[in-house]
Amino acid sequence: MSEFWSDYTVRVVFAGSAMVGAVSGALGCFAYLRRQSLVGDVVAHSSLLGIVLAFWSVYLVTGAGDKSLYVLIPGAVAAGLASLLLTRLVTRNSRIKEDAGLGVMLAVFFGTGMMLLRWLQRAQPPVPGRSGLDDYLFGMAAATTSKDLWMIGSLGAAAILTMLVNWSRLKVLAFDPEYAAGIGLPVRWLEVLLLSLMVVGIVIGLQIAGVVLMISLLVAPAASARQWTSRLGRMVTLASVLGAACASGGALISATSRNLPTGPAIVVLVTLTFVVSILFAPNRGLLFRRRHLAD
Amino acid sequence: MPTELWTLAIATVTSVTCALCGSLLLVARKSMVSEGLSHAVLPGLVLAFVLVRDYNSPWLILSAAASGMVMVWLTQLVQRSGLVDDDAGLGIVFAGMFSVGILLVTANLRNTHFHADCIVDGNLALAPLDRLEIGGTDWGPRSWVVMCVMLFVVTTFVVVAFKELRAGIFDPTLARRFGLRPALLQFVWLGIVSTTTVAAFNVAGSILIVALMIAPPAAACLLTDRLDRLMVVASLVAVAGSIGGFQVAVLIDVSPTGPIASFAGLLFLLVFAFAPRRGLVAKWWERVQHRAEIGELLVLEMVSTGGREAVDTIVAPPAERVRTIARLMAGGHLHESNGELQVTPAGEERLAAALR
Repeated sequence: MSEFWSDYTVRVVFAGSAMVGAVSGALGCFAYLRRQSLVGDVVAHSSLLGIVLAFWSVYLVTGAGDKSLYVLIPGAVAAGLASLLLTRLVTRNSRIKEDAGLGVMLAVFFGTGMMLLRWLQRAQPPVPGRSGLDDYLFGMAAATTSKDLWMIGSLGAAAILTMLVNWSRLKVLAFDPEYAAGIGLPVRWLEVLLLSLMVVGIVIGLQIAGVVLMISLLVAPAASARQWTSRLGRMVTLASVLGAACASGGALISATSRNLPTGPAIVVLVTLTFVVSILFAPNRGLLFRRRHLAD
Repeated sequence: MPTELWTLAIATVTSVTCALCGSLLLVARKSMVSEGLSHAVLPGLVLAFVLVRDYNSPWLILSAAASGMVMVWLTQLVQRSGLVDDDAGLGIVFAGMFSVGILLVTANLRNTHFHADCIVDGNLALAPLDRLEIGGTDWGPRSWVVMCVMLFVVTTFVVVAFKELRAGIFDPTLARRFGLRPALLQFVWLGIVSTTTVAAFNVAGSILIVALMIAPPAAACLLTDRLDRLMVVASLVAVAGSIGGFQVAVLIDVSPTGPIASFAGLLFLLVFAFAPRRGLVAKWWERVQHRAEIGELLVLEMVSTGGREAVDTIVAPPAERVRTIARLMAGGHLHESNGELQVTPAGEERLAAALR
């Protein structure tokens, strides 16, 4: 490890990515169980537009480029939610199916986001602070500051707390939405709540995992954890542990080697975890099954 | 031909090819497979480049297309195992493969043609400068030639295998009865889609491929009911998206891929709002007219059974009642004599026709 990284920076990066991994792992379980994995992909990609717009509008107002998460996260949340609402509008009012609707929003939001990002990077006179903005594509955990850490921590904690408070309701919704409606739960609101939690879980991770690969950090820990247990509580706990371990591991790998984006490093780790899980998990794993059949 | 025009020409032929592939994906409900393919070809591309060190080697295309098919195969493997649901399987597989590709790029090829930026938004602006010369003759930009060949392959395949494709997509069981092999056919066309993705990857990057494979076919799907027309309309939308996006790109001086993707998406939203029969506005107008029609019939029925008092008690609100009566009188279905409303023969006919 080079001398450049003081221990303090490493600690910040480590803590930040562990928190992100834990939160997105836990919230990813609900996305996974409700079969909304690709929704997460589109929210993550769409956030880029919000990030760029937020950065740009703050620059227009204050004349300074501010890349702290306090500025960028509200933009990312707004763009993520907007893409989801538009997808809903389209799929409810036309024969377009959800996957195509999501794809179109990907084109609109991510395409426009990239366009503005490239424009901002070339604009004359140069906008101060614009240079690290494209780290949001593939993630750069090393750019996390202690100020960002507070933002990630407080939003993550709020999301997890909301999840725990609504635990039993969300559980019913995840497994049996019709039953949830039958016993009088406000299904619509719970769906919106769950989607908002997912959006929060995604946007706090963008700086570390990047918009392109965030889907993996959201879904792979959940899919892995699912192989080891059939109880929601254990699944969520395991997914957040796996997410935290892979995210902090990947962040450290990327921080110790120059120019290596964090996203891919993390995703390789979560994908390995996933492969191990579907091969070796007891009862469900593919190897177990084969032996079971042979017996 | 000036460089900008070549860029536009390359963008256009790429977008038509992608739109044709995407139309089949759309009707087969596999739109998001294009998102997977556009990421999953990367490791194959990089691996082949590391081995042969020649960016123009055909091995790159073969290896990358194979990499795309590996993604399709792995996704199916994960899905068939029943351990993971479809969407999640696709997401995990393509993100994993893409990450391996990015790691290979950053580990080996930092200062080459592969740059993380080019992977996302392509090299469209520079594409016209790379010419293809065979035996001293200049055949035009390499990517132009490559994409024209792909367009030819895709069009030929679609024209030749149109009936089989349609049967295989809409009714696989029936197709099997007829002795066709939908699974094999699907494998072949996914192979072609994968090769198209690879060919387009260099110029378009991953955003534009996804945008062009999904948005124009989705827009076309709101404009027509038939697969052959859908493909034609999707191509037209794709061309319009390329031209529009290209203009924006020139205007603000950025790489054209982002603007074209965004333009294609906006064209879809426009179609979604204003399509003749299925658009939001058309549907709203249909509802308004339907409501007016029901109101008129109700007034006619009330007048013929109970006179004005019945109308006053039943048809609310008052403003709408007055408007409906005025419309009916103007249309000659109702007339007023001695302050009393009466249904004309024409009105009775209309009522009878509606109740029949």
